[in-house]
Amino acid sequence: MIHVQKLNIKLGPFEIKNVNLEINKGEFLVILGPTAAGKSVVIESIAGLVPIRSGKIVINGKDVTHLKPEKRNISICYQDYNLFPHMKVRDNISYGLRFKKDKHHAKYSKNFKILIKLLELEGILDRLPLNLSGGEQQRVSLGRGLIGNPDVLLLDEPLSSLDPNIKETIQEGLKNIHQTMHTTIIMVTHDFTEANYLADKVALMHNGQIIQQGTIEDIFQKPKSIFTAQFTGLKNIFWIDIDEELKSFGLEQPAYIGIRPENIYIRNQPLNTYYQYYGKIESFRNNGIYMEIKLNAVGTRRNYISYLTLNRFFELKLEKNMPIYFGFNKKDLHVIEIESTQPDIHLPNDK
Amino acid sequence: MSYTEYISLIIKIKRCFILILIIGGNRLFHFRAEIIYIIAAITGFIILFFNVFPIINTFYWTDSATLIETLLDKEVLTSIWLSIKCASITAIIAFLLGIPLAYYLARHEFRLKIFVESLIDIPMVIPHTVAGICLLTVLSPRSVIGRFLEQNHIETLGTEIGIIIAMLFVSMPLLIDAAKDAFKGVPPRIENVSRSLGANQVQTFFGITFVLSWRGILSGMIITWARAISEFGAVIILAYHPMIAPTLIYERFTTYGMKYAVPANIILIVISIIIFIVLRLVSLGGKEKYDSRAKIKY
Repeated sequence: MIHVQKLNIKLGPFEIKNVNLEINKGEFLVILGPTAAGKSVVIESIAGLVPIRSGKIVINGKDVTHLKPEKRNISICYQDYNLFPHMKVRDNISYGLRFKKDKHHAKYSKNFKILIKLLELEGILDRLPLNLSGGEQQRVSLGRGLIGNPDVLLLDEPLSSLDPNIKETIQEGLKNIHQTMHTTIIMVTHDFTEANYLADKVALMHNGQIIQQGTIEDIFQKPKSIFTAQFTGLKNIFWIDIDEELKSFGLEQPAYIGIRPENIYIRNQPLNTYYQYYGKIESFRNNGIYMEIKLNAVGTRRNYISYLTLNRFFELKLEKNMPIYFGFNKKDLHVIEIESTQPDIHLPNDK
Repeated sequence: MSYTEYISLIIKIKRCFILILIIGGNRLFHFRAEIIYIIAAITGFIILFFNVFPIINTFYWTDSATLIETLLDKEVLTSIWLSIKCASITAIIAFLLGIPLAYYLARHEFRLKIFVESLIDIPMVIPHTVAGICLLTVLSPRSVIGRFLEQNHIETLGTEIGIIIAMLFVSMPLLIDAAKDAFKGVPPRIENVSRSLGANQVQTFFGITFVLSWRGILSGMIITWARAISEFGAVIILAYHPMIAPTLIYERFTTYGMKYAVPANIILIVISIIIFIVLRLVSLGGKEKYDSRAKIKY
């Protein structure tokens, strides 16, 4: 169990304000947020690498706020691997054991075997880090972090500098490790798809503050701010304040609503979704894996964004300015109940 | 071979070299015949010539008999040994004193950092005789420190200690700057990882940081050593005797002229260059293998 209470940090002009986190043993928490939100600073402060101004950090019932990093029984892995270049992979992995009092305990050799297997490191144990690929280096780095049974493993954007394919394998590896070893993990990332795949809990950060935290479902289904909604991929957000529309969306007072682009259906003929519109295709953009389509509903001045798989797109023979039906179901409609107000939020879709 | 013949030979070689550069430069030196590269090749040749030729030329000013005679001259050997010894001790003291500060400067930003760094580099801009006189004012019995040393019967002026103090004063900045750069080459995050895995700061420093930066530090020590062994101005003011090699050569030159100065000169050149090359090779060897900044190829 890890508690972070009212954490305040000031590093030059940058501030972390009142961060509270709570992670149960064996949970996977993802701190999600855009670049320079202060995510890395938070986990470095849990590791004791950044001086904090006020607040309290408790790991497994022990107050570690004023302990040095080496006394906290944590380990940290970074985006850029940071393997010790002068040591073979084997020595890199077992580095942390040198400083353990019970270094010859059988549990560590057992850990070593499990990690070698889970992370597929058999073939590279006697090589130097310089000769390894990025994916291999990150696997070694994870093994090194996990061998000493840390109370919490801190991961600072571990997947960000990897190729997409390798990223997936390492994601799976991480998930396997988490399920096999029941390690508490806190990971920082800016990619909500990673959070979606890995996390039990998500904390969303922006400008040094936690905007919202909760389970994956909470964050994705019940965003409490426009920022959360936008950051987790909710592309269609509209301000509803006309009586008619309020009624049709079942709202009692003006509010923001949101629809995920993947929940908008497109057909050549009328469809049987709860809400439906007739409109035309404003533009589309091929993202390689899917097609991002901008739709304009006749009668409203709103633009909707929808995603289609490429084969579906070609099946429908869609073209620019083509008249089209589109719609979405009632269950996919998110009403955003704003709790935290965030400045500088722009709504590109709402005109 | 007379001196003029020799000079004309050198000029011929130089002409050939330029011809080769222009005709076969592409293949020989792996550059395209672009204007700046050609200028660089010519100026580069001038620089190398300027550096190396005076040293080589010294060898033509003596003969083997005098050289052997000088080699057996006890005074010359003592002074050279004293130079090497004092410069080595200087490099070691600079290392012990400079490393902690260099590490701190490499890892921290603070308000007066530029000021502190400028203070460290001050000895480099002061003319060496001036530096010597500054040190003399401190070490003379009229100053507090000089009096303290005198009371404790530590003689500095005219002793090896004086020589080392003079050498240290002028060469220390080089070591600190080199060590600072070497430490900067080790990413702080690699230290963070080591700390998080249970190593304390000292263990991390010796187990990781120093191992990854020692070549850079050694190369800084070599520069420090080289700077120390070449120091003359500050040394003669603090300690004319015992004579280090540059002092001896200067004395022989002013009293007896070139004939007696050159042989000692040659011996000092040879010894210095050999030590310099050996240490350089040590500090460069295997650099690729450990360089943490090296790009990883996929």
